[in-house]
Amino acid sequence: MGGFGGGGEISAMVATANIPYTPPPETPKLPPREWVKENLFSSKFNSILTVVSSILLLAIARGLLSFIFNPQRQWNATATNLRLLMTQAYPESQYVRIWVCVAILLILTSVSMAVWRTARVVALPDLGRRLLSRGAILALLTLLAPFSGRATLIWLLAAAVVAGVGEGLRRFTNDDQATTTLTLLLVTLSGLVGSLWVVPYGHHSFLMDRTPRVLAEPGTVAMTTKLPWTIMLLIAVAAYFLGGFLRERLPVNAMRITVLLLWLMAPPFLLYLVLRDPSFEMGHVFGTDIPIFGVYAVLGSALLIWLSRPSTGEAGRIVAALVLIVGFATFLTPMRMIVRLDMLLLAAFALAAHTFSGGPRAQKRYIFGWLGVLVVMSWMVTAINTPSTVKVPGGFFIGGLSLTLMVAIFTIVISFPLGLALALARTSTMPIFRLLSTWFIEFVRGIPLITILIFFSIMVPLFLPKGMHLSEVTAVVIGYALFSSAYLAENVRGGLQSVDRGQHEAAAAVGMTTAQKTIFIVLPQALRAAIPPLVGHCIGVFKETSLLAIIGLFDILYIARYVMPNQTEFMGSTKENVLFVSAIYWIFTYQMSKASQRLEQRTGLGER
Amino acid sequence: MTDTSTSSSPRIAASARTPLWRDVIILKWIAQVSLLIVVLSTMWFLANQAGDNLRARNISTGFDFLNRPPDIQLSEGIDTKPATGGRALWVGMVNTIRMAIAGIFFATIIGVIVGLARLSDNWLVRRLGSIWVETLRNVPLLVQIIFYFSVLTSLPRLGLVAGPINGWLHISNKGISMPRVFISDGFYQWLIVVLIGAVAAHYIRRHRTRLHDETGAQTAPTLWALGTIALFALVGLFIHPVFSWVGGIFGAIADLLDSLPIIVPQVLLCAVALGASTRWILRFLSAHRSVRGHLSLSDDDWFRIIFIALASLVVVFVVVRWTGLSSWILNSGRDLFGVMEAKFNVDGAARPFDAMLPDIVQKGAFPNYGKNGLTMSIGFAAVFFGVVFYTSAFIGENVRGGILAVPKGQTEAALAVGLTRGQTLRRVVLPQAFRVILPPTGNQFLNLTKNTSLAIAVGYSDMVQVGTTMFNQTGKTLPVVAIWMLFYLSCSLTLSVIVNWFNVRTQLVER
Repeated sequence: MGGFGGGGEISAMVATANIPYTPPPETPKLPPREWVKENLFSSKFNSILTVVSSILLLAIARGLLSFIFNPQRQWNATATNLRLLMTQAYPESQYVRIWVCVAILLILTSVSMAVWRTARVVALPDLGRRLLSRGAILALLTLLAPFSGRATLIWLLAAAVVAGVGEGLRRFTNDDQATTTLTLLLVTLSGLVGSLWVVPYGHHSFLMDRTPRVLAEPGTVAMTTKLPWTIMLLIAVAAYFLGGFLRERLPVNAMRITVLLLWLMAPPFLLYLVLRDPSFEMGHVFGTDIPIFGVYAVLGSALLIWLSRPSTGEAGRIVAALVLIVGFATFLTPMRMIVRLDMLLLAAFALAAHTFSGGPRAQKRYIFGWLGVLVVMSWMVTAINTPSTVKVPGGFFIGGLSLTLMVAIFTIVISFPLGLALALARTSTMPIFRLLSTWFIEFVRGIPLITILIFFSIMVPLFLPKGMHLSEVTAVVIGYALFSSAYLAENVRGGLQSVDRGQHEAAAAVGMTTAQKTIFIVLPQALRAAIPPLVGHCIGVFKETSLLAIIGLFDILYIARYVMPNQTEFMGSTKENVLFVSAIYWIFTYQMSKASQRLEQRTGLGER
Repeated sequence: MTDTSTSSSPRIAASARTPLWRDVIILKWIAQVSLLIVVLSTMWFLANQAGDNLRARNISTGFDFLNRPPDIQLSEGIDTKPATGGRALWVGMVNTIRMAIAGIFFATIIGVIVGLARLSDNWLVRRLGSIWVETLRNVPLLVQIIFYFSVLTSLPRLGLVAGPINGWLHISNKGISMPRVFISDGFYQWLIVVLIGAVAAHYIRRHRTRLHDETGAQTAPTLWALGTIALFALVGLFIHPVFSWVGGIFGAIADLLDSLPIIVPQVLLCAVALGASTRWILRFLSAHRSVRGHLSLSDDDWFRIIFIALASLVVVFVVVRWTGLSSWILNSGRDLFGVMEAKFNVDGAARPFDAMLPDIVQKGAFPNYGKNGLTMSIGFAAVFFGVVFYTSAFIGENVRGGILAVPKGQTEAALAVGLTRGQTLRRVVLPQAFRVILPPTGNQFLNLTKNTSLAIAVGYSDMVQVGTTMFNQTGKTLPVVAIWMLFYLSCSLTLSVIVNWFNVRTQLVER
């Protein structure tokens, strides 16, 4: 063309040309026949694979369905013992407490969903397509299952209804019309609860007559099941609307922090106050516990006010170190454990006061934090040490799925600060911290969990001084928490190593101390990067609580494998019970892993 | 600003140095030493407490139960009626290692298939892979093992004529029995032939690679090397008695070790320890020397030097004081070479391998599997299937993640240059994906080894089950737990070292 002279015109054209933006071309959605040819039969090898895998899939589905619907199966074993599987012989007269716990958890869940706006939009044609495919799969499974003619017809009718609704939605709506996942959830739950009132699942229970026997009546479910679940659903819906209402009126950040604190407080509150029903000795409480709390609150707050002023110099640090030494010294003389623990807590707050020092507002926040933690600590130690009025056979006052959830939650909550401390120690510049934490982590990661659980369940009484008594479940939770903290430390260490060196250098340049840099700059970024492996670890902790069955604690697997097949009416029902337990575990963990994937997308991890 | 002082290095005026209670270095060391004191005193306190409680209950701790008869019977293993406690624990260890190796092998194969299936073109195969992974990953392993166990115990009873293929494959509620191929007397002589073949294969491979580099022809060096080994293995099946004289050499070495005094291994070990630590310290110092010869060491570096020196002195002290170690080395060396000599002194008709079909014998009231076939007991089968399927789901996800981590441009470029899909996978994608797949898969191998401990739930006599039975009998919980931890830590360490060796070879060398 014109050499360099023409280049000026061309660059001028390019600079001023206004090319409208078009998105990249989408791969076209293939019509069904083309789709089958492309995806299933594209080459000879693929065709063979398709034929072999469809035969395999159909055989497995047919085998599983024949196993489940075999008339020899004792599914009424599971149906009659549902209460046992969930709560292990919690006394019937106190069962209201269980429902109160469920209600509180549902309220917290609904309020969280409202405050965090977790609803996602689902386009109606998409929904229709999914309903259509689900209906088709349901029809296929019905044909494979060994049903009687009438049952097959009923299920085929249900499948046709689902597929019809799906097809209708797909054809007669367009992409602008949408609904939310919350609406779908509400519809599903209302349908399930409504079916309890309408569908004849049958009424299964033990009849405690002179000759105990199983009652298995046709008809709908017992009133003691229908009514509470309906009330739970109504409470959850009301709580959601309350949460939405409050979100409009109150500042969002304050609401979120409140809800988080309520979630943190809920497990110990529900366990030690609601479920365990400690019978507090009012005299002891007013005579000893509250005065101790009062003394620590007043004197501790005064000390912390002085320490968290920026003008308190080295004298403050020396005083904090003295409080720490006094805290350790209290272990050498006999006194109440609560006094020792409160002194150590005061020492921790005193040492950290310099990091959080500031003006009057910062001081006020710090004092409130101190008072809050002191209240929780005093109340928990008092509640743990009072006997409970609930007597349950099997050594601990809850069992079944409740025990599994309790152990998992407490393990995760206790192991989190421990793992954080271990990770910080392992990446520290100080050699002894690094060595000790490395040895601990590598040691704990090298041994299987069952050895730790066996060791802690049997050996802990050996290591305790006379007079101190820990229940087996507490000892096992401590052992599990130590195990889990080592794995957690490795995940957090990965996050810590992903924080840019420039962040450390900038913090040092601005004049932050190491503690301030770690708490305010490094940890927020590190923990955000470590969220996916952390959530995976939580899922793993929940799954591995099944090992409690080996030690003999009455968790859901133990009940399914040993307690239920030993009932005279249901001998030999191990396979059905274990299949049911695995279905429960699968539902929980599948939902948790789906939620973790959604969380990754929401926080935008991996995107800059 | 030019008040030059005559001293060679600038010195900080004493009044400007930070006071002791504010000096960061001193504070850090005080914090570390106090933590060390707290940890050590807590451990001392706990140990004291345990000692008091044990004395109060009249339970002795000590490892003497390893030499006494344990009065227990094991359900399977190399020795089901062990004579001493130590032998019982050894049987448990062998059972664990057996399960771990078999499990790792099959889990890897199935895992790779599952991972490739999840990336297949075929929609149905992809769905099957997803169902496999999502089902098996989300149900706890113990629940799976117990489910397989309850299904296997409901299989039909064993009769004298059993199915599915009588005489070849028997499946019943006593387990699964199949033909067994085992190592016979002539195996070690055959192994020498194969070793010679391996050396020859190495040289042939080098030659073929050089030929390929010079002329560019497709010479398939790896295939030639494998073919050489296979040729030597085949020939060795017939000519292996030629090497029976090797036994004499081992016998001579055994006699030599027998005649050595204890001082020899002691001196050798001390020399090795001191020499290694000196060499390490010298190399460390020279690495930290600047170009001009200045040496500036931080706290950390001093700590490391002192630690290594102390460690070597501790090793010397232990070796000198504990003569049992050196005599043990000599004795076990002599025993080892004695055993090797015996393995070579076999008659000429011995074969390297032998095979036997499974049989059913009737001892007492009920028929049972005989010793001829390879029998998987119900406990072994339940744990084996559970652990293999569970780990294969995780390995499948690792394989899929590794292949997806290879940039798409590589595949597109390979296809553009004209490679088929199979060649792309084999020569372009998988070598790069291997680098990403290996570390998490090594982790899964470790998890598999530790998960075999769940065998206690179904009665397979692995290490944890045997140990639990033993301390229920003898009350010696602490020593048994200590042996467990030692065993599992060494298994984890060995596996980590092996996987790390492969890891280091595949990693990119960066600046």
